[in-house]
Amino acid sequence: MTTPVELSRPLTFRERHESKIRQWRLYAHMFGKSFSSMLGLGLVVIFLLLAAFGPWLAPYPEDTVGAFNMANKLMGPSAAHWFGTDEMGSDILSRVIIGARTSLWIGLIITGVGAIIGVPLGIIAGYRGGWVRAVIMRITELFLAVPGLALALAIVAALGPGITNCVLALSLVWWPGYVRLVEAKTLSVKEELFVESARSIGAKTPWILWHHILPNCMSPIIVKMSMDMGMAILSAASLGFIGLGAQPPAPEWGAMISVARTYMPDWWWYSLFPGAAIFLTVLGFNLLGDGLRDILDPRSRDR
Amino acid sequence: MLAFAFRKVLTLVGTMIGIAALTFVITNVAPGDPARLVAGPNATEDMVTTIRTEYGLDKSLPEQFVVYMSDLVTGDLGQSIVTTRPVLEEVLRYAPATLELVFVAMALGIIVGVPMGMLSAVYKDGPIDHATRIFSISGVALPAFWFGIILQLTFAVDLGWLPVSGRLPLVTRPPETVTGLLLVDSLLAGRLDTFWTSLRHIILPAIVLSFPCLASILRVNRAEMIEVLQSDYIVAARAHGIASFRIVAIYALKNALLPTLAMIGLRFGWMLGSTVLVETVFDWPGIGLYAVSSALSSDFKPVIGVTLVIGFFFIVANTLVDLAYAWIDPRLRSA
Amino acid sequence: MTGPLLDIQNYRLDIGTFDGPVHVLKDINLTVNRGDTLGIVGESGSGKTVLVRSVLGIGPKASKVVEGTIAFDGQDITALPEKDWTKIRGIRISMIFQDPMTYLNPLFTVGQQISDVIAAHEKASGYGVSLKVTRRARTEELLDQVGLPNPAMLFDQYPHQLSGGMRQRVLIAMALSGKPDLLIADEPTTALDVTVQAQVLDLINSLVEKLNLTVIMISHDIGAIATIAKRCAVMYKGEIVEQGLTADILSAPKHEYTRRLLAAVPDIDTAAAKVAAEPAVGASPKPGVLLEAIGLRKVYRSQSGTEVTAVDSINLSVATGEIFGVVGESGSGKSTLARMLLRLIEPTSGDIIFDGKNISGLTGEPLRLMRRHMQFVFQNPHSALNGRHTIGDAIGEPLRIQTNMSRRDIEARVEALLDIVQLPKMFKYRYPHELSGGQKQRICIARAIALNPHLLILDEPTSALDISVQAQVLDFLQELRAELDLTYVFISHNLAVIRQICDRTIVMKRGVIVEQGETERLFLSPQHEYTKALIESGRKTSRAANLSASAGPQ
Repeated sequence: MTTPVELSRPLTFRERHESKIRQWRLYAHMFGKSFSSMLGLGLVVIFLLLAAFGPWLAPYPEDTVGAFNMANKLMGPSAAHWFGTDEMGSDILSRVIIGARTSLWIGLIITGVGAIIGVPLGIIAGYRGGWVRAVIMRITELFLAVPGLALALAIVAALGPGITNCVLALSLVWWPGYVRLVEAKTLSVKEELFVESARSIGAKTPWILWHHILPNCMSPIIVKMSMDMGMAILSAASLGFIGLGAQPPAPEWGAMISVARTYMPDWWWYSLFPGAAIFLTVLGFNLLGDGLRDILDPRSRDR
Repeated sequence: MLAFAFRKVLTLVGTMIGIAALTFVITNVAPGDPARLVAGPNATEDMVTTIRTEYGLDKSLPEQFVVYMSDLVTGDLGQSIVTTRPVLEEVLRYAPATLELVFVAMALGIIVGVPMGMLSAVYKDGPIDHATRIFSISGVALPAFWFGIILQLTFAVDLGWLPVSGRLPLVTRPPETVTGLLLVDSLLAGRLDTFWTSLRHIILPAIVLSFPCLASILRVNRAEMIEVLQSDYIVAARAHGIASFRIVAIYALKNALLPTLAMIGLRFGWMLGSTVLVETVFDWPGIGLYAVSSALSSDFKPVIGVTLVIGFFFIVANTLVDLAYAWIDPRLRSA
Repeated sequence: MTGPLLDIQNYRLDIGTFDGPVHVLKDINLTVNRGDTLGIVGESGSGKTVLVRSVLGIGPKASKVVEGTIAFDGQDITALPEKDWTKIRGIRISMIFQDPMTYLNPLFTVGQQISDVIAAHEKASGYGVSLKVTRRARTEELLDQVGLPNPAMLFDQYPHQLSGGMRQRVLIAMALSGKPDLLIADEPTTALDVTVQAQVLDLINSLVEKLNLTVIMISHDIGAIATIAKRCAVMYKGEIVEQGLTADILSAPKHEYTRRLLAAVPDIDTAAAKVAAEPAVGASPKPGVLLEAIGLRKVYRSQSGTEVTAVDSINLSVATGEIFGVVGESGSGKSTLARMLLRLIEPTSGDIIFDGKNISGLTGEPLRLMRRHMQFVFQNPHSALNGRHTIGDAIGEPLRIQTNMSRRDIEARVEALLDIVQLPKMFKYRYPHELSGGQKQRICIARAIALNPHLLILDEPTSALDISVQAQVLDFLQELRAELDLTYVFISHNLAVIRQICDRTIVMKRGVIVEQGETERLFLSPQHEYTKALIESGRKTSRAANLSASAGPQ
């Protein structure tokens, strides 16, 4: 480090935030260097653009709101219909594009609800210990003891099929993952001397949680949220495929494949393209999360 | 070690009771009248009342809970509305098919995942490593149901190498049931042709089911191997002249295996959940397919039954993993 | 059999990093003859570990030899292929490592690990691997040789069942299993307690004599080097700045760095000059007792239900303005005691009286407000600062928590505090990872004095720092005390440091005070056996004692 010189004039913004700027540039450099991270970022950006501007990008937007054209039904990919058409003669490309928005909402809600419930519980369980931790962790473990998809299936079966119930069910099974992650992280951060140091200067518990524990738990939370966006979309599509999630003819990728399956094997494109959309979206979020982990948490770079 | 095992079994029982309570809560959070749900949309008021008394739905919640739990203890999981047979009986009939599928998929995941993880750790940042990294991330991102359909289209429909779906063709007489696992039973009965047929049927679904599992076993094993290979005791082993192969295959692997084991336990449960998808795609007559078809016909008891059974298998698997942990790690044994 | 056993000529090594190559080793020339004992002294980052690992072919991964050679017994080993290494590594050259905790594989028994090494050597020598029983017998013989009791039982034990000293002996046994020509010891005592350190050094010395070993020992502790090595090299920033007979270097250091290093080592046998400056005359308004502990006890209950008494019935009183020393080895309960005095750990029983007020019953807001008068400085400055906060945030935090000062006033106070700890104001925008260990510890001190406390409890404040930095921080602490009229409770395992700065001292062992009194009295006429043993061990690893010893018959 260069030896700092005492200056009389006030420092410029750049000088004051030199450390921070350098840190962000290093992050950007490391992220940009990795092909898989950039690929993930690219896929996620495309997905977000489709979700944002879908209705303007889709060649036949009316096909996604119930318009049908039986003359065109089940046509293979062509110049007019790049991804072909479905049994109602609707353009599959348009339906895949519009489906991005549905998936984005699904992913955001499930991950968001999961984190909002899970993170505070995890921090409290990890920091407080004792019976509070015992109660929170027992309940968490209970939820984790049944595979998520099976539990979500049971909840949807109880609530009745539909996209809303599907998102609700998945949110209900999603939070325990955050509790476990954050609790483990809090347990280790809490042992750090700086937490004891904050206590020794008389900091109250909320101050310590907010200023010391949470910032040090953020990296794994961000990574998990990125990955979970993909996994939540995948899970919702799975329930849609089974027939318990979004109901056809809603333009949801899983539900589309569910219908497409009955048109196998002769009309292969029908299931191919929605599936590819799911795969690339989930892949994008996973690669992004992986790339973020590389730069945010260098110690576990190889995980 | 024995005390440790005993403690683990106690936890197992406790968790099982917890899961039972959880399923009870799920049954009762559903909006609307469960009796009406059971009776179906066209039922008269009389029918609903009858069902309500018959199912004990007119009692208070705590009473219902006691009844529910005591029924579970005696193995009574209720009755399927569609088939009017006891759920337990049906679940037991379908479970072996699911277990067979999961075991084969798990074996695939471990046999391929662990060595691949080791290889890419040893040749870190080499071509093998890059290939496995892409492979492992795609593996987790692949939608199982879609991947299944693609495999069916390619290997069954186009190439005609393998059957599209099912467990055995209708015309084939299943071997005498001993374990319920066709691969084992056909061998026990000495019928190699049946063994071969059922093997051909199980390949595609097992690959689909094992793919994400394989990917995550690979990832964890690779990461742990890399960390262990950098650890001080491996440096020391190298400095003392122990051969590289022995260091990787024995010293490092044993240490890296611990977290991999945890992942295997976790993925076992995940696989049980995914059977719901894979069995639907491949018409595999297991509890996953049973749960889905019941759920679609609003037949609720079988869904809960399957959830309980899957939960039970998962906990048993995790308990076994814990025991294996203690068996490998002396620090846990003496604790 | 003529030439030197190890001959390093003009050796240069670079390590490739993100910012380009770093010159880790620069122009190293070193010769070791059979029967030599060579010590390499240097602080962290001096390149000493990289150097000896290169000798064993296990240097850092991204490294590149720029020029020069390492020749072992006449053979150039600079670019030896891996399969030829198997004939040298562990057999002709072997190594003892720093931290016996992490250098043994936790999942294998001690016996298996040693007999594996024996098997590997037998294989490499081409005679075939001997029977399991034979190897077991040889392993037990080795364990016996390093002074471990009951080798037969030890064979089947796992590393976590052994103490630190025992593990280090196991590692030594392992290193000796190939009857090596050259033994490299990498900081073999650093991770151990003082008394255990002395035992391990004795063991190495006796083995050198008995087996006629050639040894290279590296350490940051010049005392430990002096105990073992007849010859010595001093490394600084990748270079050997001075080498020669250890006695010569100790008595007449030539290089400026060596002189600085030697001056920084606190001497256990010298009464410090501090006595004169001690009572901050007149400045202290109320001489008397500032802090008192009465019957302080801490009992921990383990998961299996057994009770462990970490601190047992401690009575002490600290006078206003003095430096009160607490000395003991790991497990003596000194850190628990320190934390209890500040109520960071709840005592099981007993009272703490601070400034005439019993604070052991305080809870909630009164306790919180009381904390501003007594502050803690932690052992490890690297983890005592939150990596996500700037230095300004860290120093300002106590002000924000305990006072209603405005942002502007806090800013100004932070700058003033940086000034007091002699660091530039600009540091407030920096993050901890950009600072050196010594700078970080100054930040921790600035944070501790931000609220003008009366009492500082310093828990091994220098043990995570290099020796030269330690000396600076100790000097600074003494200046600060005079300036701000502070009282210190100073906790350390290092007797020389204690003697250098403490007025009165208590010696702790397994949770109880075994001896207490004026520091000078304690050192000149220790009463308790344990104090004597402690001072004796400390002396063994201290400079002066060995200077005379090794200056004797050569």
